[in-house]
Amino acid sequence: MDRLTSVPGLSGSGIGLRSPHVAEVLATRPAIDWLEVHAENYMGGGPAVRTLERIRRDYPVSIHGVGLSLGSADGLDAVHLERLAGLVERLQPALVSEHLSWSLTGGAYLNHLLPLPYTEEALAVVSEHVDRAQERLGRRLLVENPSSYLRFHHSPMPEAEFLNALVRRTGCGLLCDVNNVYVSCENLGGDAVAYLEAIEPAAVEEIHLAGHAVNDADGRAILIDDHGSRVAEAVWRLHARALARFGAVPTLVEWDTDVPPLAILLEEAAQANVMLRGARHDDGDAHAA
Amino acid sequence: MPTLRELQAGFRDALLGGDEHAAAAAVRGDGLGAAARLAVYRHHVFTSLTAALESTYPVVVRLVDARFFRYAADRYIREHPPASPCLSEYGADLGEFLARFEPCLHLAYLPDVARLEWAMNAALHAPDVEPIAPEALRAPVTLALHPSVTLLPSPWPLDAIWRANQPDAESDAVDLDTGGVLLQVWRAGEEVVFRRLSAAGFAFRNAVARSGRLDAAAQAALAADAAADLPALIRAVLDEEVLVQV
Repeated sequence: MDRLTSVPGLSGSGIGLRSPHVAEVLATRPAIDWLEVHAENYMGGGPAVRTLERIRRDYPVSIHGVGLSLGSADGLDAVHLERLAGLVERLQPALVSEHLSWSLTGGAYLNHLLPLPYTEEALAVVSEHVDRAQERLGRRLLVENPSSYLRFHHSPMPEAEFLNALVRRTGCGLLCDVNNVYVSCENLGGDAVAYLEAIEPAAVEEIHLAGHAVNDADGRAILIDDHGSRVAEAVWRLHARALARFGAVPTLVEWDTDVPPLAILLEEAAQANVMLRGARHDDGDAHAA
Repeated sequence: MPTLRELQAGFRDALLGGDEHAAAAAVRGDGLGAAARLAVYRHHVFTSLTAALESTYPVVVRLVDARFFRYAADRYIREHPPASPCLSEYGADLGEFLARFEPCLHLAYLPDVARLEWAMNAALHAPDVEPIAPEALRAPVTLALHPSVTLLPSPWPLDAIWRANQPDAESDAVDLDTGGVLLQVWRAGEEVVFRRLSAAGFAFRNAVARSGRLDAAAQAALAADAAADLPALIRAVLDEEVLVQV
């Protein structure tokens, strides 16, 4: 498993780089530890990917895929994996991550991170696809927990147990999205702290934070993972619990709906760094700095 | 208990608006109905894909108005869901869809406007390929048009329609009777541009795309216009960097 080790060197907090901010980031070179991009926005040619290469010279970059559909029963999209491998080769990112979800069925890409039943069948499918992706990329993939709005009748494994089993079978790492843990537990009646306690701590190499919306569904509150506001107070508290358990894991702030001025995102990332420094202090962990 | 493949096929039916029965049967209500839970996912699928189409087709949106566009997009998404996770590649055949979409058949130029916007989107994301150097044409070579190039013939003044529907346009009045155009759409440096071609210029590029040969392209240009200025045609494709060596 040596060759699956991630490139070292990512620490502190980053932001998800979105197109409205690219020119400003290039022009002002803000003080941010690292940047993350969605792989699927950079799979063509033209100015977008060339601009990203310029940014890559100044910042460590993490590549976050949203389209590999690791959970598709139809199989892994080999063409898409090749395109991801090409981008990884070109950008040499510090981390590469994807999702515990599926999007592709019968040739249709449903453009959503759709939920899986946590069964032995699904575990075999996802494990095989993570193996193939790691084999092709020549490095460890981080797999992110989804935000969920439903459960299946037949889903015998708790999500954290499913993720731990995936780590054991494939050697992958985990991307713990703390907002997703909160949203899923609120929507489906779970205990977010117990969820974090159940995750294999050594596997977590990255944390995501984002805002969520509170919507009304037939008179009941349902949390929507829309990445459209500041990180909620309850999620910051959960972030502190996550850092206490996982260590000072590099933390990303994402914002995708009604994207605000860059300065707001930098404030959120600065807050994440305050939390990370607190965690390092608590650990007495000199290496994490 | 459905297999994973059956479950996912059932989700596709439920999300794209066909039949919710199979997916709903697999989902726990948990106090909120299965239909309401599936609706959360369906809402995201349609809003995100509609936003992707709006971003690729701003002039079509303006021509039919935003509400009608969302209505058309809803039908289009159900009938033509994406085949790739790259959203910039979604919507290639919206022009063909609109040409058959009953409620806007009276806007005869609309499908070609969509084709122009698609060509511009495709040019923006086309692979980076080095254009051929002028010296290389001295030897026999196989040619192609740069992957960013689309040749678009239309019986409508597409360029004028597009310009009149930009946010900064002074007037959105277009005289549709001014006739058709032969357009070349391509990426010049970092910018996507288009311009009108002469009949000879269009035939020249078309023949390059079809045959890969300079002599065939020259013949095609002369067939379109016996008075065509061949050296000027060749200079233009080199200056515009729309020619590549295969």
